[in-house]
Amino acid sequence: MSKHTINLTVNGKRRTLDVQSNELLIDVLRDRLYLTGTKYGCGIAECGACTVLHGDRSVMSCLVPAVAADGWEITTSEGLAKDGELTPVQESFVNLGAIQCGFCTPGMVVTSTALLRENPDPDEAYVKDYLRGNFCRCTGYVAIVQAVLDAAGKMKGAAAT
Amino acid sequence: MTQVSEGSYIGQNVPRSDGHAKVTGAMVYPSDVIVPGMMYGALLRSPYPHAEILSVDTTEAEKMGAVCLTYKDIEPIKYNERSVSIPAATYRDRTVLPDKARHFGEPLMAVAADTQELAYRAVRAIKVEYKVLPAVFEPEEAMKDGAPQLYDKIYLGDEEVAVHNNIGVIRNISEGDCEAGFAKADRIFQESFELGRIYHNQMETKCAVVKPEPDGSITVWATAQSIHANRQLLGRVLGMPLSRINVIKLPFGGAFGSSIQVNTVTPICAYLALKAGRPVKLVSAREEDFYSHQKYPAKFTVKMGVTNDGLITAAHVTALVDFGAHQVQPLPFLGCTAGWFASLYKYEGNIRFDGTAVYTNKTPCCAMQGYGNPQINFAIESMIDIISNEMGFSPVDLRLKNYRGVGDEFWGQGPTIRSIIKSCGVEQSLVEGRQMTDFDHRERPDTKTGDVRRGLGLARGFHCSGTGGPKEGEVIDYSSALVKINEDGSVDLLTPVTDHGGGTWDALRKICAEVLQVPLDLVGLSPAGTMQIGYDVCTHATRGVYCGGAAVYHVAMKVKEKLLEVAGRLMAEHAYNLEVVRSDGLHQGVVQVKDFPAKSMTIGDIAKQAQNMSWGTIAYTDSYRQRNCPPCFTTHFVEVEVDMRTGVITVPKVLIFGDCGNPMNPDLVKGQLVGSFNRGFGYTVFEQLPTNEATGELANKGLLVDYKTPSAMEMPPIKDVEVILCDTYEPTGPFGAKGIGEAALASVQAAISNAVYNAIGIRFHKLPLTPEAVLAAIREREAQSAGATPS
Amino acid sequence: MNTKHIMKEYDYLKPSGLDEALQILSEKEKVKIYAGGTDLIVKLKMETVPDMDYMMDINGIEELKQVEYTDEGVRIGANRKLWDIETDQRMTSLFPALTDAVKAMAAISVRNLASIGGNFCNASPVADAVGPVMCYGGTLEIASARGVRKVPAKDFFLAPGVTVLEKDEMLTGIFIPTPKGDVGHAFTKMARTKSDIAKLSLCVALARDGGRIGHIAMSMGAVAARPLFLEEISAGLAGKEMSESLAMETGEAVSGFLQPIDDNRTTAVYRKDVTKTMVADALALAWARSGGA
Repeated sequence: MSKHTINLTVNGKRRTLDVQSNELLIDVLRDRLYLTGTKYGCGIAECGACTVLHGDRSVMSCLVPAVAADGWEITTSEGLAKDGELTPVQESFVNLGAIQCGFCTPGMVVTSTALLRENPDPDEAYVKDYLRGNFCRCTGYVAIVQAVLDAAGKMKGAAAT
Repeated sequence: MTQVSEGSYIGQNVPRSDGHAKVTGAMVYPSDVIVPGMMYGALLRSPYPHAEILSVDTTEAEKMGAVCLTYKDIEPIKYNERSVSIPAATYRDRTVLPDKARHFGEPLMAVAADTQELAYRAVRAIKVEYKVLPAVFEPEEAMKDGAPQLYDKIYLGDEEVAVHNNIGVIRNISEGDCEAGFAKADRIFQESFELGRIYHNQMETKCAVVKPEPDGSITVWATAQSIHANRQLLGRVLGMPLSRINVIKLPFGGAFGSSIQVNTVTPICAYLALKAGRPVKLVSAREEDFYSHQKYPAKFTVKMGVTNDGLITAAHVTALVDFGAHQVQPLPFLGCTAGWFASLYKYEGNIRFDGTAVYTNKTPCCAMQGYGNPQINFAIESMIDIISNEMGFSPVDLRLKNYRGVGDEFWGQGPTIRSIIKSCGVEQSLVEGRQMTDFDHRERPDTKTGDVRRGLGLARGFHCSGTGGPKEGEVIDYSSALVKINEDGSVDLLTPVTDHGGGTWDALRKICAEVLQVPLDLVGLSPAGTMQIGYDVCTHATRGVYCGGAAVYHVAMKVKEKLLEVAGRLMAEHAYNLEVVRSDGLHQGVVQVKDFPAKSMTIGDIAKQAQNMSWGTIAYTDSYRQRNCPPCFTTHFVEVEVDMRTGVITVPKVLIFGDCGNPMNPDLVKGQLVGSFNRGFGYTVFEQLPTNEATGELANKGLLVDYKTPSAMEMPPIKDVEVILCDTYEPTGPFGAKGIGEAALASVQAAISNAVYNAIGIRFHKLPLTPEAVLAAIREREAQSAGATPS
Repeated sequence: MNTKHIMKEYDYLKPSGLDEALQILSEKEKVKIYAGGTDLIVKLKMETVPDMDYMMDINGIEELKQVEYTDEGVRIGANRKLWDIETDQRMTSLFPALTDAVKAMAAISVRNLASIGGNFCNASPVADAVGPVMCYGGTLEIASARGVRKVPAKDFFLAPGVTVLEKDEMLTGIFIPTPKGDVGHAFTKMARTKSDIAKLSLCVALARDGGRIGHIAMSMGAVAARPLFLEEISAGLAGKEMSESLAMETGEAVSGFLQPIDDNRTTAVYRKDVTKTMVADALALAWARSGGA
C-alpha cells in the first residue's frame, strides 16, 4: 500500500498531508482535519451528505481517494460563510425552514452553492434536478427548493444594485 | 393551559436557533464526536440468518493490537432495547452480544483499535466456527409445528415465559358486542391488506461514542431518542450505578423511531470502552444500519358491518406481524395498533382485535413514525373507500358520520391509555377539503380513458400527542425541566427532551419565554446530560411539544411564582398584585404592578438584586405528567396520475390538513407534514425490503442504491403542495398545542391508494404500489375483461 | 463489503502523460485505471475488484480530457467528465441523444467526477452513455504501447464488466461521426427515481428519407448481459414507410426479441412489457424530431 504526500487547499488554507493510497477524502476531511460538517451517509454516492466543492464544482467526497485530490481547492460547508456571515444560500435555508435534522444540510448547501454559481437564475425544475442526488429524509424537499430559489432572488437583487 | 399573550412568539415563524450551526457544518452530531485518545470500533456481523457459534478465536485480531469483545466478555443479562413500557409489559430476549445468531447481520463480536482501518481488519482476523441452523422468514411458516425455533424461553417482566411455535405475543382485545353489531348491519365487508417491511433510512447511521472518565464514570454520546433510557440500560448491563453514567443529549441525523430503543451498538461500544480503558467510537456503515432495525410489517384482515344509512356497526381486525429476531416491543405495538383502529371510527362501540406477533430470522422491527398507525390506517381507510364505492356513499360523508371527535374516547397508546378528545380538526379538514378539491364531483374510474389517468383520493388519520392519560397504564410518560433566571434577566432552560429536527427545542424555548415574558433570544437551551436533568421517557409518540413542553410550562410557572415573590419583596408589593410583561424596548422581561405599569423592575434587576441580597437563584426543577393523550389529526387529499402503459404513479397535487392545536411554529409544522408526505409516498410506491431466503441477506445487501426513496424530482410542484393547519386549540396542551410528527404520515398511504383506485378502478391491498405491481394489475384486468368478452 | 472504507491494498500511480500510462500498463500486472472513480471506488468498497495491485490515476493526462470537433465529427477524450459533455452546446445540438443520456445519469456531484470513457470501460449492461454512441455509429480509440486501434462502439462489449480491451490497452477517445441529412434522435430511460440506474434505457437514431425511414440504429440498456445493439431489427426498418403501426410493431418485435432477467430494479416481465411502449414512443419521437410528419 503506497503512501503519498499531498497538498490540499481546504477552505482557503493550504494543508500538506501524508495519505495512504486507499484513504478517502471524506475521512481525511472528517478524521484528520476535523471538518465534520462533511457527513457519511451511504458511502456509495447515493445520498450526497458528503458533498464538497472542488473549485466551483460539487463532488461526493466518499468517492474520491485523498491521493487523487492532490492539488485540489476544496470548500466544505465550514468554508462557505465568511467572517461569520452566512451566504445567501445558507441564510435562506435558515429562514425558510429548509432544515430539520440538518444532517443532509451541509451537502445540500454545498450543492446549492455550486448550482447558483453554475446558473444564477434557475427555475424550480432546474433546482430539483440539480439536487436530485442529495437525499433528505426529513423535509420532503419543498422548503429546500424554495430556499435555493429565494437565495437566487436575493443574489440577483444584490447584483442589480 | 392559558392563552398566549399579544405579540407572543408562539404561532410565529421564527428561524430555528440551530440553523446557523447546521448550515455551516458546525453542529456536532454523535458521529462527529472526537475525543482525545479515541479508538475506533467495528463489528463482526452474522453471515447467516440462524447459527450457533461453536467457537471463537480472537488471537490474530489481538495480535494486531485490537481489543476484542465476544459474548464471553459480557454479563448475560437479558433485556429489551426499548424501555418505554413498564417492566411488567416488556418482553426480554437479548443480551449485549449473543452466543447464537438469529438474523443475518446481527452483531456477534466487536473490536476496538487505534484506527478505523485496523478495527475493520481485526474483525476479519477473528475466526468463528458456526453451526448453521435452518432459518424461517415468514410468520405463517414460523408458526408451523416443526419450524426452526428462535427461542425456547424469554422473560416477561421477571417471569420466565416459554415460546411455542415462535409466537412472541398474542394480544386479543374486544369491547362491546361485535356479533350483535354485525347482526345489525345491512352489509358486511371483509378484506385483507398487507404492508411489507421498510427501513427508516435516517441520514445518520446509528452510532455511539463512549468515554471512560478518570473517576470511573462514563460519558456517552449516541444517536438516542431518550438519554435516560440509554443511561438506565447501560447501568443495568454494565452493573454501574446510574450516577456514574452521563449520556449527553445531542442533535442527531434523523430518527423516525430508529432510536426509540437503545441502539444495539451503544451497549457494545460501552463494553468495548471499558475493556479497552479508552474512549471508543462505533459508527455503523449504512449496510450495517439496514440490519439494525426496520419498520414492522403487518397483514390484516378487516371485517366491517355497515347499515344502509352509512352507520358502521362493528369492526373486527386480525393482525399478523413478523417482528424479526428480537422483541423491540411487539406487545405495545399490537396494543397501539388496536388503539389506532379503535379510535378512527365509533363502530357503535363494537370492536374486536386479534393480534399475533411472530419471531422470524429477520432484522428486529422497531417503531417507525406511527407505531402501527400507518399500517392499520392503510387497511381501515382503504376499507372506508371500498365501502363508500360499493354502497354509493360519499367518502367524506361516511367519515363525517362515523369518526371519533370531541367528547369521544381516544386510545393514545393501546387499551390502557385513553383520554377524552377535547379538540378536533376532522370536520374542518373534511368539509374544507371537499370544497377545495371539488371532491364530490370527481369522476368515476370507469369513465376515464387514455394512457395517463388522473384520480383524486382521500384518507384521514391521526396520532396521539404523548402517552399520558388520566390513569397510569402500560406506558411510562412524564418529562422534566429545569429553568433558572440568570442575573441579567436571561434564562437557562434544561430539558432532557431530544429534538429530531422538528424544532422541538425551539418550541420549548418559546413556551419558557412566553411564561416568563422574556425575549426569545434570552432563553438559552443549556447542554444537558442524564447527570444534569430529570427523566424524560423518550421523544416518541409525538410527545415532544405536548409532554416535554408541558413540563417546561409547569416548571416555568413555578419559576414565575418565585420571581413574583422576590419582586414583591423588592418592590414592597404583594406578589398577586404583580405581572410580567415582555418589553422589546428594554429587551427584558419586566415585572410591573397590575394596572400601574409605571412601577416596574426588569427581571434582570430583580435577579441581580436578589443576588446582592443573597436570596439565592430564582430557579426550579420538577417533573410533570400529562393526563391526556390528545389526537393530532391529519387529512390528505391526493391527486395521482397513473400511466396505464408503465404502471408509474406520480402525484401532481396534494392538499394536506394538519391539526396540531395551536402551532408553535407554523412553517416547521408544515415542514413536518410535507416531509411526511414525501416519506409516505416512498412507503406507498417505492420502498420494500425483500429478503434473499437462500442466504437470509437483504436483496439490496443494505445498499442505498437499491433502496429508493422519492427525491426532490418525485415531489409535486411547489405550488401544488398545499398545507392547511386547522383552527383548533387543545385546552390541555401548552398554549393550546398538540403534536403533529407521526400523525403527518398516518393517512398518506391510503390517500394515495384511494386516489389510484379513483384513477384506474383497481384496488390495491398490498404496499408498495410499484410500477411492476400496478402494471401487473392492469394487465390482469385486461386479461379478465378479454376473457369475459363473448367471442 | 464496506462502504466506509476501502479494504483492498494497492499502490497508487499517477502518470503525467499518455506514453507513461501506456508504459505502466504494458509493464505492470493488475493495473486498474482511475478516471472518475465513480464505478471503481464503489466496486472497491463492494470488494468486487479481485485483480488490482495498482490504481493508475489518469487525471494528470490533459489530452484525455479534451474534446475536438471537425467536419467529420467529434472526438471526445475518454476522461472527459460527463458534466462537460452535457453542458457542451455543440454536443447537444449534434448529438442530443448522448447529452440526454448523460443528463439522465446519477447525480450532479457524480457527473462532475465521472468520465465518459469510464461508462464504457465499466462495461455495465446498463451504461446510459453507451447506447447513443453505438447508435450514432461511434468508434472507440484504443491505445497501448504497441499502437492504436479502432473498434466500433457496438463491438466493444463482451460480457458484464468485460470488454475487448487487452490488459495493456486503454480507451483514449471516442469518435462520433456527424449525422447527415434529416436526422432525429431519442434517448429514453425508465428508472425507479430520476437519479437512478436504468430499469430500461433506449436509444434511437434515424435519418429520414421523405416519408420513409432511411438509416436507423436502435439500442437498449439493462435488458441483456451487455448494452444491446439492435442491429437486425434496425436493419429491417430501413426503407419502410413510417407509421404509428410500424412503431407499434417494432415495439412488439423488440420486446419479443429480448430475454431480460429479474433484478433488484425490476422484473423480466416488466422489462418486456414496457419495452413495447418505449420503443414505439421513441421511434415516433425520433421521427418527429427528424421533421417527419
